[in-house]
Amino acid sequence: MPGFSQRLSRVQIAASVQMSIKARELRAAGKPVITLTTGEPNFDSPPHAIEAAHQAALRGDTKYPPQDGTRALKEAVQRKFRRDSGLDYALDEIAVSNGGKQCIFNAIMATVNAGDEVVIPVPAWVAYSQTTELCEGVPVLVGCSQNNGFKPRAEDIEAAITPRTKWLILNNPNNPTGACCSAGEIAEIAAVVRRHPHVWVMSDDMYEHLLFDDFRHATFAQVAPDLKDRTLTLSGVSKTYAMTGWRIGFAGGPKPLIRAMVVMQGQGTAGVSTVGQAAAVAALDGPRDGVDAQIEAYRRRRDLAVEMLNRARGITCHRPEGAFYVFPNVAGCLGKTTTGGRTLDTDEDVCLALLEESYVATVHGAAYHMSPYLRISTATADEDLQEGLSRIQIFCEGLQ
Amino acid sequence: MSLTAERLDRIQPSLTIAISTVARRMIAEGKNVISLSQGEPDFDTPRNIKDAAIRALEAGQTKYTDVSGTPELRKAVAEKFARDSGIDYKPEEIIISTGAKQALFNAMLATLNPEDEVIIPSPCWVSYPDIVTLADGKPVLVPCGQNNGFKLRAGDLEAAITPKTRWFMLNNPCNPTGAAYSAAELKPICEVLMRHPQIWVLTDDIYDKLAYGGFRPGTIVAVEPRLKDRTLTVHGVSKSYAMTGWRIGFAGGPVALIKAMDKLQSQSTSNANSIAQAAAVEALTGQQDTVEAMRKVFEQRRDLVVEMMNQAPGMNCSRPDGAFYVYPSIHGCIGKTSAGGRPIKDDEAFALALLAEEGVATVHGAAFCYPGYIRISYANATEDLREACIRIQRFCQGLH
Repeated sequence: MPGFSQRLSRVQIAASVQMSIKARELRAAGKPVITLTTGEPNFDSPPHAIEAAHQAALRGDTKYPPQDGTRALKEAVQRKFRRDSGLDYALDEIAVSNGGKQCIFNAIMATVNAGDEVVIPVPAWVAYSQTTELCEGVPVLVGCSQNNGFKPRAEDIEAAITPRTKWLILNNPNNPTGACCSAGEIAEIAAVVRRHPHVWVMSDDMYEHLLFDDFRHATFAQVAPDLKDRTLTLSGVSKTYAMTGWRIGFAGGPKPLIRAMVVMQGQGTAGVSTVGQAAAVAALDGPRDGVDAQIEAYRRRRDLAVEMLNRARGITCHRPEGAFYVFPNVAGCLGKTTTGGRTLDTDEDVCLALLEESYVATVHGAAYHMSPYLRISTATADEDLQEGLSRIQIFCEGLQ
Repeated sequence: MSLTAERLDRIQPSLTIAISTVARRMIAEGKNVISLSQGEPDFDTPRNIKDAAIRALEAGQTKYTDVSGTPELRKAVAEKFARDSGIDYKPEEIIISTGAKQALFNAMLATLNPEDEVIIPSPCWVSYPDIVTLADGKPVLVPCGQNNGFKLRAGDLEAAITPKTRWFMLNNPCNPTGAAYSAAELKPICEVLMRHPQIWVLTDDIYDKLAYGGFRPGTIVAVEPRLKDRTLTVHGVSKSYAMTGWRIGFAGGPVALIKAMDKLQSQSTSNANSIAQAAAVEALTGQQDTVEAMRKVFEQRRDLVVEMMNQAPGMNCSRPDGAFYVYPSIHGCIGKTSAGGRPIKDDEAFALALLAEEGVATVHGAAFCYPGYIRISYANATEDLREACIRIQRFCQGLH
């Protein structure tokens, strides 16, 4: 067989996907697996979004869409940026993609040359570093420690910037920690970026609405309007509106960048599924009641998870501001042996032992560039979450 | 530091911008413009397919699917390949993408290293060389003359192969010429490929249901099963089922290649739209009467257009066996002046003058890497098509 490209060897299947596959295999073998790995809401898409898709199909909205998104969706995105963040983007400063992931992919593919550096505060979603490496760029990871609430410090970001830095990627609230920087904390980072005019900022706000206890979301371009002309603001409907399967993400940014991203997308996939775009318009313009109820459910589950994990022996769990993840520290479990006789040397060992002995699927922190932690998704029905957390407590109890 | 990456800068700006800009302006001014430039069926998606999408919506199929597609759709695609092409692919040898274009894009990113060569018969869809270029490869165009029905000669393929050749790409039937290869015509091409085991083979069969006059397009793996372990067979529902806007393409190939493509897709977009996948299952497994009805209409239109083009002075139009395009030569018009006083120095000048003076939008051959021709899409209402052909005849009669 002819061979493969070097770039391929730099890309891995995401650990969360691998764990989900393992969990599914165990379940197929009849094991009572509880899955706390998924990054998607356990709710249904809003009924008005479903109805809009239904109508779009019936009225024949089934032709090639413009590559940068339908006008109707771009206008809805424009309203959304204005309403939620006070940001004004012209229609040619907006692009619609197949998921937020493709916005990131397009932006990095369109701008990163071999050797260009991308500063990524970690823990972070692995797609940032993987896409950078795919483009022969260099991910520069900036550690965000638990004692700072997993948030980046401005001085650490400054120290990571070099003449080769192309991007700084911020993810607020963060996957996998749920941490979210306040407007004040973002302003400190903006002060650093202001001193380095060659650095672009990608603000991935995919989880922006999933915030608790009256924490208010702020995005980079809103906090630092003078830096808007080198900021890409990214969001989507997947997490807020439980629309993961529809694959609709979008971004606002300066016109030359958006144009370059659209060229990239024109080669990668062309436009985005028309029925999905129609549904996204309805979701963005529709009532917020369903979303608010979901946010309340995520808050309740976060509190449950943090409390139960902090009662598990060897685990300490930070209480995050948002998203639907918690990121407990499992340092206290390392060096011990499970009731099944496994020695736990790394967070990956903990994760595998939990799955194979207690049938609870989680993702290990190393997959997000920080050990020893686990990522636990609270986008799980309450009973399952409770059961999963109880099993983790019992698992920890059995360690010696 | 420049904003855009070198890989993006290597892509030529679209050659059709001048024409589409003028067409848009004329339409905005209220001029009567007939567009023969679109690459999509004018039919709406059949009702049974829409109904399947609506059932999926109501069943809440709005979650992430496997990156490579739902098991149902992969099974339907496997059955489709077995039924239509006589190729036996297992579900794990199949990937579902956001349009066939993404399958191509993934395959090239997964395999091409800098300077690797990809042989592409021309005229060709411009995305082939563009995607190769983006993936750091080098397109090697092999011209296929009208005197051979725009088809590749095995000897020309052999002559183009070098030690750097990594892929051979075939589009059968072809966009923009409609040229199609029977199994017997593919045989000598397969023989050449058998002698060069370092070459991957891509066959893009997306138009293969649109063949006329009893012609049956062949496909590489069916003709030479020994090429199966290095051939990617690309297909999709866009053209046969009038589903361009849904963005569902797929490919069958050896497991190692499919896995590599899956890895890339997991970083760039994840799964194709979940609702559209459900619609595609119905397209492939439901009643096929509408496909045949559309095919029959296309066949009548092809005959109409070929006849009328050959009555236009200076034009020479071959009768192709498939797709929904014809690719008439306009060599006899070059060097003349239009009735409106425009010099026709090349195919682009011809297309621009035809648009300005008669309100007929076409795409000039240079946009398919093969100048001296225009592409006419007959995926248009028959009355409009007839009117457009009358205008083209009048335009040609006015040349002096």
